[in-house]
This record gives sequence, C-alpha cells and structure tokens, in this order.
Amino acid sequence: MNLFNIISELEKVDPEIMDRLTHRRSALNALGDLSKKMALAAAPIAIGSAFNKAMGQQTLADPTAVLNYALLLERLEYSFYTQALAAPTLTATLTGAARTAIQTIQGHELAHVNLLTAVLGSNASPAQSPTFNFGSAFATYQSFLTFAQAFEDTGVRAYKGQAGNIPRTASATLSGTTYNLLTVALQIHSVEARHAAHVRYMRRDATAGAQTTIMPWIVNADSNGAPAAVYGAGNPAATFPAESNISQGGITSLTTMLGATYTADDVSAAFDEGLDNTTVTTIARSVVTF
Amino acid sequence: MSNNLIKGSDEAEFAKPLYVPIKRRSFFMYAGATAGATALLLSGCDDDDSGGSNSNSVSLGSGDVGVLNYAYALEQLEAAFYAQVIATPYTGITTDERTALTAISKHEAIHRDFFKAAITAAAPTQIIPGLTPDFSKINFADRTQVLTAAKTFEDLGVGAYNGAGALIQSGTYLLLAGKIVSVEARHAAYIRDLLTPGSFSGSDVVNAAGLDQALPVATVLAAAQTYIKETINGDNVGK
Repeated sequence: MNLFNIISELEKVDPEIMDRLTHRRSALNALGDLSKKMALAAAPIAIGSAFNKAMGQQTLADPTAVLNYALLLERLEYSFYTQALAAPTLTATLTGAARTAIQTIQGHELAHVNLLTAVLGSNASPAQSPTFNFGSAFATYQSFLTFAQAFEDTGVRAYKGQAGNIPRTASATLSGTTYNLLTVALQIHSVEARHAAHVRYMRRDATAGAQTTIMPWIVNADSNGAPAAVYGAGNPAATFPAESNISQGGITSLTTMLGATYTADDVSAAFDEGLDNTTVTTIARSVVTF
Repeated sequence: MSNNLIKGSDEAEFAKPLYVPIKRRSFFMYAGATAGATALLLSGCDDDDSGGSNSNSVSLGSGDVGVLNYAYALEQLEAAFYAQVIATPYTGITTDERTALTAISKHEAIHRDFFKAAITAAAPTQIIPGLTPDFSKINFADRTQVLTAAKTFEDLGVGAYNGAGALIQSGTYLLLAGKIVSVEARHAAYIRDLLTPGSFSGSDVVNAAGLDQALPVATVLAAAQTYIKETINGDNVGK
C-alpha cells in the first residue's frame, strides 16, 4: 500500500477527493501526531485513519477501525470473565479445574486487550473500556457457560469476518518487535477457537452445562441454548452464511460433490463461518448493555 | 481501500490465473529457509532404503496455488492419520472419544477432498499428487501415542494456516483458510484436553501476548516430513 495508490483508489469512489484533501493539512497533522507514538512500520494504519477522518467515514475498511472493533470484543470478553470469577453466585460452582480454565481464558483476553491497546496507541477508541452489564449471565453456572460459548463462538466469527479488511502487509512495531497485523488477527482468532472448544467441552458435562451432545465444534447452526443469531447468517448472507453452510469456494454442495458422500453435520462442522461487524455488534448488544 | 480483498465474484476470483510475482518481503522472509529446503530437495535424490517405496520429490509450487497445495498436503496427512485411528482404535477408547475422533476424521477428509476439488478447478495442472503417509513411528494401539501425534498434527495445522495467511493474495482463499483454521484449533483444543485436561491453549502454543503459533512454511514442512514418504518442497509457497 502506498500513498499514491490510496489517493487513486479514493478518486475512483470520490472524484472530488483532491478538493476535499485541501483539508489534507489537518489529515497530515493528525498523521504527524500519531507518528510520534507509532513506528514508521505502522504508517499504513495511520494513513488509513487520517484519511478516514478526512472523509468522515465510519467503516471497518481500514485496520484502525478493525483493531478498535477487536478491542471492543476483547474488552467485553475480559470484563465478562473478570465479573464471572468475582460473582458470588458462581463461587460454589466455578471451582477447581473449571475456575483454572476460566482464569486461563481471562488471561488471554487481557493479553489481547493489552496488545491491541498498545498497537493502537492514541488511536484506541474509546480510550477507556466501557462498563459492561451482563444482566443475569452469572445467575447460574449453566447460564455463565452458555454466555461464554456465545461470546467465544461469536468472537471466532467476528475475527474471521474481518480477515479481508486487514492488508496483508500492514504492520506495527512495539518494543522492537514488528507484528504483521493480519497474522496477529489470525493468531488471536485461533486462540478464541481454542477457548470456544473448551467452553463447549465444559458444557458437555451434564451437571455443568446440561448439553450432553454438544461438540467442541459447531454442528449445523445448532445454538445449544445460546442466542440463535450467534450461528445464523450475517450481512450479506452470501459472504457470511449461517454455520449450517455446506457450500464452499464455488462448490455448491460439499455433501455430494467431493467424490465421497458426507453428512451435512460433518460438512458444516468442518468449516466455521465469518460474520460482519454490524451483526456481531447487534448480537453483543442483545445480551450485554454497554 | 482494502475492500478489494473480500470483494469480487467468488467464481471469478477462483478462476483467475494465479500468477504471483515474487514479493521482496517474502523473498527476504524465506531467503534463509531456501538453503535448508534445497538440501531437503537434494536429499530426495539419495538412494532410498525402504524397499518398494517411491520417495519422489513433490514441489508445492508458487503463489496462491502453492499455499493451496501446502494446505492440501497437510490435510492429506491429517485425513490419513485419523482414518487409521478410526480403523484401528487405541486400547481403551471410550464411546465419547470414538464419536469425536470419527467426526474429526470426517472433517479432515472433507478438507482434503475440498482442496483437491478447489485446486483442480483453479489450477488443474499444478495440483500435487496424493501423498504417501508414513505412520510407522506411531503405535496406533497406544492412546497416549495416538493423541500426542494428533496434538502435533492439529497444533502444526493451526500454526501453518496462521503463518500462511499473510502469504495469500486472494481474499476468497484467505477467508477459506480462516474457515478451516478455527476448526483445526477446535480439534487441537479437544485433543489437548483429552491428553491433559485444561491444556486446550497451553503456554507451549499460546504465548504471553495471547497469540497462537504462526509458523513459517519451512518449519511446518520439516515437522510434517517425518510422516510423509515423498520429499516436499515448499520453497516458493506464496511467492
């Protein structure tokens, strides 16, 4: 990505871009301010952000917006596990190996929050974490695990849905370490999937989750008591189908067109699906106040 | 500005010629690995001791096709492994374990067959052949050995996909890789919990920054080579 490409791309969608960029002094001022806090390697993010400000756009088309979106989800998850570990209603049930596992997951979510905050620097928005109210989520061990499953599975879908919005060359340097942002997003994404699998495994214990048939992976669009939207289609549905999807890469039915016959259960479980940010945010706001 | 990564008709994207020029960055990233991989390639020319086996060298190719072949090779390995696990279950396998491992074996077979179909559609002359697995070092009757090998394959798969993501040019393929890698991560977490409860995201795979592994092609192939008779050359994957 370079500056000239960006301008020529912008000219395609907005022929008056050069007029607008007479305001580019302020955009470049913002850039200069940022560059004090971010290494040169992070310039693509800073540039994207500066132009977004100049254009007045609020999309996830640049890495800064994607990272702030990821930060919101990680803050939500970290807050969720922190509140669960402190909830008096769970002290008798969230014990032993279960508590240790949740502490492990909480630790990862905090690490994600810290990493994203550091990468974003002064671009972190909002600067401070919102306060999250999870309602009756911690009323019982079962309800806690159901929420945990919903958040982890949604998190996996959310990261996957943004993979194409992070240029594969975008990077940031922190304390001498250069991070490729797409790689970092993928590395967080698979950790969320590990969490999701474990939480589902915890629910498999009948006394813990009352879901004796649940698997560590998502079969069809089965919600197992979590909100159905977590496993439903996003927008556009062609890009973000429901988890029951059996069509991939232009092959319309993987159950019958691969030379062997597979069940829809197995095909749907073999691929996780992405989800757009609007649908993810709607799901989050349906169960959490923030 | 980066929307072009996910936009565009899937089919058109899929059918596009997959020529990819060598990127300077990836050249430097892998320049160091080339020497070792060349040695691997040459070692494929040495005479082979295992009677009757055909120890050819298989090149994964370059660009996105190289990445797809890379994934296809790994999925072939995983699918063959779990097929053996299900055909000769380890001593003491529980009903629950058999159900889950059977599902995993199906997922891997679907991944394998999907890549075969996708690469055949996109680049019919560049698809790698079926590989010959070598699981002679694994005692399939022993639960710990089987699950340890499964853990190795799953964690390796996750690290491989995570490392390959930034090598992929096509947004369509990147999303497909993303759809698969999280399922591999779910497998990894399950297998790890079977071996050691609570080790689903242990510190040997998830670092202090909360990041899973992202492995270079050469590292993955060096680990996978133990279980594949053909010598795999991944020098140009993603270039």
